[in-house]
Amino acid sequence: MNNTLLELKNISYKYKNDLILNKINLKINSGEKIALLGKSGSGKTTLISVLNGTIKPTQGEVKFFNKNFDELDRKHKRKITTIWQDLRLIEDLSAEQNVNCGLLAENNFYFAFKNLLNISSFKKAHKYMQLCRLHNSIYDKKIRKLSGGQKQRVAIARSLIQGSNILLADEPFNNLDPKSITTIKKLLLENVDKNNSKKSPKTALVALHRLDLLNDFDKVIGIRDGKIFFNIERNNLKKLHLDKIY
Amino acid sequence: MNKLKLNYTSLSFLPILVCIPLGYQLINNIHFGGFKLFQEFLISAFNPKIDNEIIITVINRLNETIIIGFFSWLVSIIFGAIFGIISSNIFYKIFNIPNFFYRIIRFFLTIIRSIHEVVWGILLMQIYGINFSIGIIAICIPYIAVNSKVFAEQLETIDYKSFESINQINAPKLSSLLTIVWNPIINTFENFGLYRLECAIRSTVILGLFGIGGIGTSIFLSFQTLNFRELWTYLWSLAILIIISGLIFKKIKFNTTNKNLSIFFIAVFFITILFSFSCFLYFIFKNIENFNSVSSLFKSSSDLVLFDFLKLILETIILSLLSTGIAISLPPLVIGIFNNNSSKIFIKIFAFLLRLIPTPVILLTLLTFNNPSLSLAALTLGLHNAGITSKLLFTNLDSQDKRNYIAMKSLGISKKTSWLLGLFSQQAKSYLAYCAYRSDIIIRETAIVGVIGSVGLGWQLQESLSSFAWQEVTIVLIAYSSIAIIGELINGKIKNSLT
Repeated sequence: MNNTLLELKNISYKYKNDLILNKINLKINSGEKIALLGKSGSGKTTLISVLNGTIKPTQGEVKFFNKNFDELDRKHKRKITTIWQDLRLIEDLSAEQNVNCGLLAENNFYFAFKNLLNISSFKKAHKYMQLCRLHNSIYDKKIRKLSGGQKQRVAIARSLIQGSNILLADEPFNNLDPKSITTIKKLLLENVDKNNSKKSPKTALVALHRLDLLNDFDKVIGIRDGKIFFNIERNNLKKLHLDKIY
Repeated sequence: MNKLKLNYTSLSFLPILVCIPLGYQLINNIHFGGFKLFQEFLISAFNPKIDNEIIITVINRLNETIIIGFFSWLVSIIFGAIFGIISSNIFYKIFNIPNFFYRIIRFFLTIIRSIHEVVWGILLMQIYGINFSIGIIAICIPYIAVNSKVFAEQLETIDYKSFESINQINAPKLSSLLTIVWNPIINTFENFGLYRLECAIRSTVILGLFGIGGIGTSIFLSFQTLNFRELWTYLWSLAILIIISGLIFKKIKFNTTNKNLSIFFIAVFFITILFSFSCFLYFIFKNIENFNSVSSLFKSSSDLVLFDFLKLILETIILSLLSTGIAISLPPLVIGIFNNNSSKIFIKIFAFLLRLIPTPVILLTLLTFNNPSLSLAALTLGLHNAGITSKLLFTNLDSQDKRNYIAMKSLGISKKTSWLLGLFSQQAKSYLAYCAYRSDIIIRETAIVGVIGSVGLGWQLQESLSSFAWQEVTIVLIAYSSIAIIGELINGKIKNSLT
């Protein structure tokens, strides 16, 4: 049975005269957890943006569930969640309102309205905020008043509440203390239901800088100057590989 | 010899040179017989008429003004926000609609905005007669377009990345749109919307001068009968209304976390939309036969000679330039020369009066001792707008860090020079940027002084309307709109280079 969830075929992306991604071919199978390594400016963020459909590649095809990204219906698109490097939270909304935004896809317009008026239920949002070790004193604080670490956790909570099966994350552990990283990494890579028990396997592509966080990943992809230099099992990763990309 | 170099500070003062040709024409046009009348006008300011009868009239007239002003504000702010959303690029990105529609809506709103509410008022009164609702409609039409521009500009400052992140959640498009635009809309309403209520009240007063009702009509009637004491009673009561409303606005905070208040605002929002639509439909069906007048726009002939018409266009442009010159340079010049605490209070009061007294009344007052001319109209418009620009300048100067000014004074530099280099020079750039925006409004306001002062296209419009020469009216409106749009484009470029 074909287990391929996501496929990139000959993807290139050009911005002005710079070739940011250069003929990338990649297959991600359902349930795989992949770490994306590369130095700053190597094309990691652009690759994630191509995968979640935010930017269209100059050349090539992005296929999810064997369909072109543009052909995907909303139900399928909802299965993908992104944690951006720059978080992209709505500064004027409170932390709990931002987390609730993750529920917009599964609710109607009236929910969005109630969320903005602060009259929706924040029970689910609070649960995920708690899981992300956010203190309840900051739940109703506006994003602009939070610290970097708190904002990071809000963005993670917003992603978790979406309940998506595919996670695309760009350096999600920035600004977090070591203890939180362990907890949050577990949350991000393993799908959990209300009772904190495991659900269907989660597929994840996570851009990282820190090599000590690789232990929960199945595969490692190395990217440099917009090209994939290696795509290997984590256990096979050698210093030689890292020298190629750093 | 060194070359002359212009900086923002000198550019703020340079336009005062317009006073040379202006002063020359004004001096030549003086007729001393009217000075007594002017003196009487000034003295009456300190001795307004106060008795039971006039107090009742004031209350009734103010009521009418507030009702017209409030309803036109409410409708224009709500529809302004709606049009603001559909004329902002964020809307088209979310719904994947081609930008072509966005340009059409923007162009349409620009044309509507370019015509002053007084022109809309006169036009509608001519077609439908004097009517309470005409006042509201006349204010609403350009105000919706102006407000929509402000809302759209604010929505365009939304961080594109937060838009992408919400869009990526793949929520229903309407939910995404609402979540993204909600706070910018509320913030714009708080920072700009309440100020527009004051503007709507001022516009109601001006329309009142043209017969729409409210305190403006009483001001005009008392001026016509030269009853200056009564006139000042109306003006002071208007001043009190504006001061009180200003104080109330400062206290109002739109608290989105207060559930009951939010629900109340949402209810007002929807009721206003429904009410406006039903009133609009009622108005259309009631006045359906009057639409024949509109269809005759293209049937009637025009007696406008091309040369005269071009002359009127030129007059309007010169009028705008002269008025803008005064509005830019007069405030810093006066504040800089009379730079002490007691003079400052006097200047602030004078500026308040210039803002308070409607331009037609200022013009009629000046006409007591001066013949109608382009210079007089320019002076009137310039003075009124100088009252507005000086308010902004005072606010900015008062809130500015004064350390440079104090340091310069301690070096023995004169107070005036220290003010110029230590205080004003730091404000000059933003002040000029605001003046560029103000000149857009001045171009539109030339219509008001034109009608009263027999100058430019405003005068021609009045003439054509009185004789039901609809084709002429159309030509004049197109010319007006074109001047305003070109002016807006030029000022936009200036503003962008300054900000």
